[in-house]
Amino acid sequence: MINALRQRLNIPPREEWRERIFEMIDNRVRIITAGLSIKELRAVLRGDPPTEKPNPRYKVITTSFIAHLRPRYYQQAATWFTHTFRLGWFTTFMFVVETITGVVLMFYYIPYPDQAYGSILAIESNVFFGELLRDLHRLGAEGMVLFSWLHLLRTYFTGSYKGPRSFTWLTGVILLLITAWLSFSGYLLPWDQLAYWAVTVGSSITESGPVVGPALNLIMRGAPDIGTGGLLRFYLQHVILFPLLAILFISIHYYKVAREHSISLPAVVEEGELEPDEKKEYTRRIDLIPDLLTHELFLTALGIFVMLAILYFRWFHSPLETHANPQQTPLDTKAPWYFWWLQGMLKIDPATILENMLAFVGIKVELSHLLNSKFIMGLIIPPTLVLILMGIPYIDRNPSRLASKRPFAIAWGLAWIFIVVAWSYMGTPQYGIETPAATRIIQDLAPEEGEGELREIPYPELQAGIGVYTVGEEIEGDLCPNLVYQPNPDIDPNEIVFGCPHLTAVFAEYSERLLEAQADGRLPDLHATFIVQQFQDQLIRIEPHVEWSDPETGSPKTYSQHFYLHEDRAVE
Amino acid sequence: MKRVQLEIIVGTILVLLSAAILIVLGLREPQRLADYDVQQVADRVEFGASIFESNCTICHGSQGQGIPGVAPSLRSEEFFTERIAEIGWQGSLEDYIVSVVTVGRQVSTRPGLYVGGGTPAMPTWSEKFGGPLRDDQIRAVATFIMNFEPYALGLVPTPEPILALADESDPIAFGQATFVGAGCVACHTVTGISSSIVGPVLDGLASRAGDRVNGLTADEYIRQSILEPSAYVVEGFEDGIMPQNFSELLGDAQVDSLVAFLLTLE
Repeated sequence: MINALRQRLNIPPREEWRERIFEMIDNRVRIITAGLSIKELRAVLRGDPPTEKPNPRYKVITTSFIAHLRPRYYQQAATWFTHTFRLGWFTTFMFVVETITGVVLMFYYIPYPDQAYGSILAIESNVFFGELLRDLHRLGAEGMVLFSWLHLLRTYFTGSYKGPRSFTWLTGVILLLITAWLSFSGYLLPWDQLAYWAVTVGSSITESGPVVGPALNLIMRGAPDIGTGGLLRFYLQHVILFPLLAILFISIHYYKVAREHSISLPAVVEEGELEPDEKKEYTRRIDLIPDLLTHELFLTALGIFVMLAILYFRWFHSPLETHANPQQTPLDTKAPWYFWWLQGMLKIDPATILENMLAFVGIKVELSHLLNSKFIMGLIIPPTLVLILMGIPYIDRNPSRLASKRPFAIAWGLAWIFIVVAWSYMGTPQYGIETPAATRIIQDLAPEEGEGELREIPYPELQAGIGVYTVGEEIEGDLCPNLVYQPNPDIDPNEIVFGCPHLTAVFAEYSERLLEAQADGRLPDLHATFIVQQFQDQLIRIEPHVEWSDPETGSPKTYSQHFYLHEDRAVE
Repeated sequence: MKRVQLEIIVGTILVLLSAAILIVLGLREPQRLADYDVQQVADRVEFGASIFESNCTICHGSQGQGIPGVAPSLRSEEFFTERIAEIGWQGSLEDYIVSVVTVGRQVSTRPGLYVGGGTPAMPTWSEKFGGPLRDDQIRAVATFIMNFEPYALGLVPTPEPILALADESDPIAFGQATFVGAGCVACHTVTGISSSIVGPVLDGLASRAGDRVNGLTADEYIRQSILEPSAYVVEGFEDGIMPQNFSELLGDAQVDSLVAFLLTLE
């Protein structure tokens, strides 16, 4: 009877079940993996050769949409780590990190001046993993800029931009610009002082253009100054326009690599004189499945781990300064580090240089009203440099890629690295900008934004150190010799500090630098004090107060600042 | 071991390590969020204190102690215990402060005590109504003022104030500090220090003080004007606007230095 039922229901005999079920699962796996059987999958994971013919691993590339975007193989030498350093890959990795973290941040962020800063605070204080997400996004942004620059340098020095890869190089330069703009537009969004002023200074360059300058400025900022309209514009560019452009150009850039010319072989393999079997080994195919794919998964795991580790040990933390204040220009306006070179260039005044050069040969002319330095250094030279950069493959007609056969190109590249580093140094806030001595000294101890030594004085030291200290009066040893405290009672109860080393050090540096300035004549008739007072419960007020006579006119001058430090303040 | 296998093994270890980091961070997250809130209150107090110092001290005193006749103390017990009931405010004291700072006071609520510097009695501070401050700044000022509570209620002993803005050995500088600290700047103009027309402009005081009242030298006249303001009232100003109690508020050294400072206004 059972056999009859079996036949009616078409159930195979017991001994065939195992096989049938295996077959069913195997078919399912083939559908999911777009062509790999269980046996094949096992071989892939073990690094064994294909189990069937034709090679089912190539089938995946034709049937799977995602896999078909990838190349079937690279030549062995093209995968040398020291050839590519995986720089392009890591740039893409960072772009993916940015997209994922960015989308989550978008849930919380409000692109409106009154609320933007508050929404960032809310992300940090109210969102589970909010700080981590923001740090990852910022770290990824800096990483993406860094890797894209390094990728460009690598491509330049290995001569990989030549021949069929000329157009790929051009799209790469466009991607570099897109990356820079993505990063710069994101810089504004926290709406803190750092963001507001960096972008105000940066976007003011357009204003210097002739005729269309003010119109351009209006288009970009939405108003003469950055406000609601400007923030919204930057936000939309940051989350829609430029990500889409980036995806478009990454696709073009990568399509060329995957479908047309692949990763370049190292010049020694392509042009060098090699034994035939060496050459054969170096040009051997390394298949996407399993080698390249495994390697990329490994790099993904590595990338995620390194980023998390950096954040875990707090080697990186995304800055958040005080709320943007259009009325208060900070003393040191700081562009992001990858724009320091531009900021440095803007400090160069071509008119003065030309005047001096002409004066050297005996011609005296006034050029400053003819040559607008901001226009030339901001709107003429950088685009020219970008055009030259794009045109490198078309300018450099030397067919050889070996470093020894292109000494001029290598020297030219090194020279530009040097120039960009020098410009970047000139772009740091302190370079070439005179700040009065007293202002500079106090600003160095307690910058308007960020921490600085003064704000890092632990609260117990402040409380014990209440008083008025006069610069120049002999103070022996510690300012509060009777103090004994535990800086971290929860973490390390055995750590004990005697006296107030931080407060003493800050006052010592303050005194030393002021007395130095007095000695070299910048602060004659110096009378300076350092006042520490209890202002409220848990709140200390510190006031460095400097009086002197103006070296030229002799009139009395005063400069003082006040700082409030609360017991519960965040200490890094 | 083949490269593929090595990468799979090391990659798996890295993924597990990353997961471990995330778990550790996740376990710490509630504490971090709680700490962040505490730090944000601390930040607001610091931020509010700075704003208070640059905007509010001229009327409410350098330490929020108030200036007789001009503006009330913000650190008195009465302010923390009775004020909102007196005014009939339904919400919290902090919200009351936010509301007053935002819109100001059109008319003094205690005209007998605080005439105010004219109309309005207190200016509006919110940028919505033409003032200089954003909402978050006003909120910070309120958080800062609320932090006077432990002192006002005597929960924490109030420390001796250091009137250390200037060196007492230099009477003129000390007098100038007193001029600011005691609130004279709220009503009197001295070019470069203050501008207000509630009371007479004091520029050039030294050259005319000796001729005001027969028999009084410049020094004596200024001293009398501070300690007994009604003894002589300058033409065009009403009697009784200037507080009568500076003799109680100021120490001898402060009055001496104040006179010395005012005598420098040639």
